[in-house]
Amino acid sequence: MTTKRRYSLMGATLGGFLAMLAPLPGYAAINVQCPGDTNGSATWDAGEVQPPNTKCMHLGAGDGFITMADGATQYIFGFSDLTGLVTKPVPPDTGDDVMMEGMLGASFPAPPIMLDEGDEFYLTLTNVGMMMRPDLFDPHSVHYHGFPEAAPIFDGVPDASISINMGSSLTYYYKINDPGTYMYHCHVEATEHMQMGMLGNLYVRPVQDGTTYTYGGRDYTKFAYNDGDGSTGYDKDYPIQIGSMDSAFHNASLTVQPLPFALMEDDYPMLNGRGYPDTVNPAALPPPAGNVNGGKASQKESSLIEAAPGERVLLRISNLNVTRFYTLATLGVDMTVVGMNAKLLRGPDGKDLYYKTNSVTLGGGESVDAIIEIPVDAAAGTKYFLYTTNLNYLSNNTEPFGGMMTEIRVN
Amino acid sequence: MQTRVIRRALQVTVLGGVFMVLLAVNAGAMIQGITGTSFNLTATTGHISTPDSGSYLIWGYANGAGLAQYPGPTIIVNEGDQVQVKLTNSLTVAGAGPAPNVSIVFPGQHVVVSPTDPGIPGILANEAAPGGTVTYQFTAAKPGTYTYYSGTDSALQVEMGLIGAMIVRPASGANYAYNHPDTQFDRETLFLLSEMDPRIHQVVETFGPDAVAATGYLANYFPVLWFINGRAAPDTMADNGVPWLPNQPYNCMPMMNPGDRLLMRVIGGGRDMHPFHFHGNHARVIARDGRLLESTPGAGPDLSHELFTIQSQPGSTVDAIFGWTGQGLGWDIYGSPAEGPEYVHECMDMDNDDFDDMTHEYCPDHYKPFPVTLPGSLELTFGGFYSGSPFLGLVQSLPPGEGGMNPNGGYTYMWHSHTEKEMVNYDIFPGGMMTMLIIEAPGVMIH
Repeated sequence: MTTKRRYSLMGATLGGFLAMLAPLPGYAAINVQCPGDTNGSATWDAGEVQPPNTKCMHLGAGDGFITMADGATQYIFGFSDLTGLVTKPVPPDTGDDVMMEGMLGASFPAPPIMLDEGDEFYLTLTNVGMMMRPDLFDPHSVHYHGFPEAAPIFDGVPDASISINMGSSLTYYYKINDPGTYMYHCHVEATEHMQMGMLGNLYVRPVQDGTTYTYGGRDYTKFAYNDGDGSTGYDKDYPIQIGSMDSAFHNASLTVQPLPFALMEDDYPMLNGRGYPDTVNPAALPPPAGNVNGGKASQKESSLIEAAPGERVLLRISNLNVTRFYTLATLGVDMTVVGMNAKLLRGPDGKDLYYKTNSVTLGGGESVDAIIEIPVDAAAGTKYFLYTTNLNYLSNNTEPFGGMMTEIRVN
Repeated sequence: MQTRVIRRALQVTVLGGVFMVLLAVNAGAMIQGITGTSFNLTATTGHISTPDSGSYLIWGYANGAGLAQYPGPTIIVNEGDQVQVKLTNSLTVAGAGPAPNVSIVFPGQHVVVSPTDPGIPGILANEAAPGGTVTYQFTAAKPGTYTYYSGTDSALQVEMGLIGAMIVRPASGANYAYNHPDTQFDRETLFLLSEMDPRIHQVVETFGPDAVAATGYLANYFPVLWFINGRAAPDTMADNGVPWLPNQPYNCMPMMNPGDRLLMRVIGGGRDMHPFHFHGNHARVIARDGRLLESTPGAGPDLSHELFTIQSQPGSTVDAIFGWTGQGLGWDIYGSPAEGPEYVHECMDMDNDDFDDMTHEYCPDHYKPFPVTLPGSLELTFGGFYSGSPFLGLVQSLPPGEGGMNPNGGYTYMWHSHTEKEMVNYDIFPGGMMTMLIIEAPGVMIH
């Protein structure tokens, strides 16, 4: 706290004003808290010591743009990954310009958060403000959805605790005790901020990882849960987040019009922030056209699933859309559901409740862990599909046969 | 400081005298409803209020000559009771047509009609004609959570409000959900989830039910209001029976202390599915539709599993047990001496279960300091339920006008539909299918 430096919101204009307020504790300050990290980068650079089992991340919360699969550009609220940016320089000021990086830097889905059981996770959220909506003074938060035994102070529900104002940072702390597939999102004015895109993947790997279990004649060292028998072992895992957006709502937000809550109806169904065929593009999508967000790539998460014959693929499926239920189905291969809502699917005395299925139905805020086994005799180049059987949502707005679908490719 | 002293004193009180209270379940911890074995329900009209200043005609079940209720009176009976429900049809409607017949179906029960009051035959159930009656009889054979609703023109009549909850308490006792020790609970809360398309109610009020068909609204259903126990947030958090909601007597205000077992009785009371998300912790789903999730009779809920979002389906019920202690947070929820001398407290674990024997504090985290520095108050936006402190049971100063809805410094959690669109009243956020759980500090009495 004593060496905290303060940054202006939009550059030098406010700098002098803020300097006058320097004696006040914590006013409009970017403040990344990360044990062992001295320059506020949320990473451990040369000379800095990472304490055991400690992870840090620095997220920005603001706005930005994405490109829909039909080519349309859409305005979003979202999170950006500011990890690695130096926020606590020694004088003279040599720090990175966090605000400039964060502003219009929102990505969809939000930067993925991957943790390991036993971690102590320090997550700093900096509210960089919404560039396209200077009329808004919205705070933001992170809700680690499904975190067991949560305390309100780090739960991100603004009604129940605190949320962070523009130009400032709040560091959340989580002791990671429970593996599984979670998700995270902003909980401030949740219907609006979530429809606008402040949603992301979050999952926790179990301590059983690294131990070898033989299951079904194959050795595994990676598992969905601490199953004790290797039955959740996998070769590859893919987070798949169901989402959908209402373009009318986003356009109303961008043009500062009344927001249609009651009339909200999503017309862009997506997996990991893209509609088909963008879902199977393995790379980050190019920045939105027209330099609307300063040329920042905002859709980095592919949904292309690739595996070899005989491999087991763990799908970490979550749903964070805000308007309806979706069913995701596989075509060509079964799914075995081994986890649900970030818990191993077993009874209290250890009875297996796993089940095989070709479809899972999730509302917002639900997750399942489903394992796909690629047949050993599958030919290279074989394609299976993961797609919504709410068939009208296989679309990108008015463009047919896109939307909520991706491919499972045998390599 | 003052709060903490009181808390410790109350713990001593607990040692001395509260065992008597524990023997008899606190009435405030139980779901409100009508009890007995013989019930008189009346289908009649009323108006409900929504927090966006809406007022809508409903058809509701009333208790005897009382007011129409949305939802209807919660019928609470005991396992093995011979239950009789007499339904009187007092509906009146606008327009030229007659008032409709009404009825009740009781999913999960084997219902017969009274030979002396059989009503008139219907499709799903015998019906009461306008001004007439019908009497249903069944044995409450199996404990659990059930719903009851109109089996006559249900698409319209359930939308109009003819829906209620029924609880069958097991022979094991009122603080058990089923006849197994693993279903014991300390507190219970009803979550009857429903939605409403106001256009239908307006057409019925103005032109009568016969005019609905021509509008197509039942087929092109478009709800814009969402309810728990017949109230839209924030009314869900007002007291039971507040005078300004005469037709919506039931609140939904789950409250508990750390270590309590809270039974959630979740009912899909409308036509839509709802992902009901409860912040704070997982809950163990022990039963569906009044049937324990057990592999063999007597096994107990050995097929139960834990969820953080209950997928509530229309006409279905789910029983889940929720608990919270703050186990494993990695910091002391009552503060540590590192934060100041006023945070000195003990964690007494005589039975070696890792929890304080009275407060249920998780002792391995005892006195672990709060892990981060919180921003200054000018950097923060405060919620109405924020106590000013990250610690349980403490109320600390907040800027003028902030907080104030959490006088005991409890931990509060939003419990809501995660179809977040359903957390609005028409176009006004927040509202709808939402309430708050309050976990009060040990020793804080809950009413």
